[in-house]
Amino acid sequence: MASTVLEAPAAKVDSRAGKYLTFGLGKEEFAIQVLAVREIMGVQEITVVPQTPPYVKGVINLRGKVIPVVDLRLKFGLEEQAYTQRTCIVVVQIEQEGSRLLTGVVVDEVSEVVTLQSADIEDTPDFGRGVSTPYILGMAKSKGKVKILLDINRVMSVQEMSGLAGSVL
Amino acid sequence: MPADFQLNELAADPELINDFIVESREHLAAVELHLLALDQDAANAESLHAIFRGFHTIKGLAGFLGLDAIQEVAHEVETLLDLARNGQISVSSEHVDVILTSKDYLQRWLAELAEMSATGKAPSASANDDLLASIRRMGQKSEEPVAPALAALSQAQDPERAPASDQHSETRSIKVDTQKLDYLVDMVGEMVIAQSLVEHDPDLSLQGKPRLSRNLAQLARITGEVQRTAMAMRMIPIRQLFRKMSRLVRDLSRKTGKQIDLELQGEDTELDRNIVEELADPLMHMVRNAVDHGIETPEERAATGKNPAARLLLKAGHQAGHILLQVTDDGRGLNPEKILRKAAERGLVDEFVQLSESEVFNLIFAPGFSTAEQVTSVSGRGVGMDVVKKQIMKLRGKIEIQSTLGQGASFFLKVPLTLAIIDGLLVGVGGESYVVPIFAVREMFRPTGDALSTVENRDEMVMVRGSLLPVVRLHRRFGIRPRSENLAESVLIVTEAQGKRFCLVVDELIGKQEVVIKSLGESLRSIRGVAGGAILGDGRVGLILDPEGLFGQAAA
Repeated sequence: MASTVLEAPAAKVDSRAGKYLTFGLGKEEFAIQVLAVREIMGVQEITVVPQTPPYVKGVINLRGKVIPVVDLRLKFGLEEQAYTQRTCIVVVQIEQEGSRLLTGVVVDEVSEVVTLQSADIEDTPDFGRGVSTPYILGMAKSKGKVKILLDINRVMSVQEMSGLAGSVL
Repeated sequence: MPADFQLNELAADPELINDFIVESREHLAAVELHLLALDQDAANAESLHAIFRGFHTIKGLAGFLGLDAIQEVAHEVETLLDLARNGQISVSSEHVDVILTSKDYLQRWLAELAEMSATGKAPSASANDDLLASIRRMGQKSEEPVAPALAALSQAQDPERAPASDQHSETRSIKVDTQKLDYLVDMVGEMVIAQSLVEHDPDLSLQGKPRLSRNLAQLARITGEVQRTAMAMRMIPIRQLFRKMSRLVRDLSRKTGKQIDLELQGEDTELDRNIVEELADPLMHMVRNAVDHGIETPEERAATGKNPAARLLLKAGHQAGHILLQVTDDGRGLNPEKILRKAAERGLVDEFVQLSESEVFNLIFAPGFSTAEQVTSVSGRGVGMDVVKKQIMKLRGKIEIQSTLGQGASFFLKVPLTLAIIDGLLVGVGGESYVVPIFAVREMFRPTGDALSTVENRDEMVMVRGSLLPVVRLHRRFGIRPRSENLAESVLIVTEAQGKRFCLVVDELIGKQEVVIKSLGESLRSIRGVAGGAILGDGRVGLILDPEGLFGQAAA
């Protein structure tokens, strides 16, 4: 992602510009493209699935469909927190090898939908640790705060979910 | 043909092409059925007309789309059929053969077209020159005298009027995208849950409110009915599959020179579309086996005093929530001695082992087993019956053999009506509920405190009816906290997986429930011990256990 931007710095329209849903996770603000969001719901009872990584909370019934739910706090290595009234499950549609999957993502709270212009978006700064952040599209400044733009397809890599399965017990 | 292949602009519309494919396939399926009828009874004017109509429609549609190769073949067949209709030729097996070949040719074309509309790859169906020539040759060979009955019949039945009745029956069924149907079934499931939640809502006191409770009961009845109807919509009759088999039997009979009367029973038996599709392969293998190994040549049959024409029966029917399929031939039957000898040769069994007859018969399901003296183009390579067995097991079905030497063999298949629903035993462990498939459950009981014994202080086992069974504690396997570690306060479920028994320890039995099997999605597909998810009565998701995976883990 970053390389395409480097190659075409003069491009007027950044493919990253568009409408984003922003949400809070700990002290940070994140944003995902609205097009990927199917719906937002309060936390409901989650059925635990064994032999999955801790960040996979389990599965829920989304109007007759069984979909997995991932806790984004745990996924990003933040400490676990009890769910509150403000905790939400954001149902996103991710594309993986041509097929579309629905996945629930648990976030601390959902804030708003914002429109981000190319000018608002910057590339992820190099933190000099050689750590790659493939699932971060970039950073956006909006209303004085920094929002981290996520590539939800990469965050929810299927290989990662099933690859860790079995190593937990 | 592929070089100068070009579609006109109408054919560039994928929707038109798809409509053409779907419609032509339907016509070809009908054509095949009527051809087989015609083969039995050459004077069957109704079938002749139906075949003519099928090719005629395809010709018209193909011409409209500029599919010349299809149009040419359909046209030639039509000409040939027209001769037959006018009584200028009488239909023989050779005619039926060439029309069947044309039908297959068109079917290949349709498959190519379908691939083209999916992938954009240009069709590469073979040239039709040879085929066209052979159809024409058939038409010129009008040596037979006019069949007067046929001519009279074709006059009496105006072909222009006949399609009307066809169209009438078509309007009574419509095509629905299976995705929409699945969605409907999902939604109806949710409606039933919502209805049950309302009915059992603690805020809703029914005491002294007869009208409310009457209305709620009515709602419950209706939702139940809607659910049954929605599930029934997935069901299709097994007729189509049987049709394929009659074609196969005809081909095999001509290839092997054996005379076979195929009898079909219970074609209207309905079962889930998926199951019908999954049954096609095993049924084909079984029919092949029956024809190749079971049924003797006409001479052999005559020598043993049998009717030279063999009888092959395909039968379908319901039995206690399952579908029972039967393939019976009156051929030479299975020879237990020969099977045992062959099995010993291949090292499948010990030479001196004592086996019951049914155990011997089961040996033919072993991979690589074949008693055929020589490999024919039909069967005998030793692949087949093990594939049948595997496929039937996959469908959660059973297969049984009955055979009398010299008098014939019967294969019985028992498969569930649908793959979408299973009977489950709802069990509780800690705060979670799980569904154990009933077909894997042998018995359940609450053990006494001293029933448990341990091996090396690690593996546990329990004495059940004189045999020691390993114990699998579900909560340990799944890492949940149980209500009690004490076996005397738990319930043991004797479960069978791949012929091995073990005891599954759970906290409590909640009840028996029919559940709709749902996938947990791509990302959670390969979890050992979990076969899928089910939406339970309270709207929560319960995991369906996979006994095989659970026990496999125990062994690892």
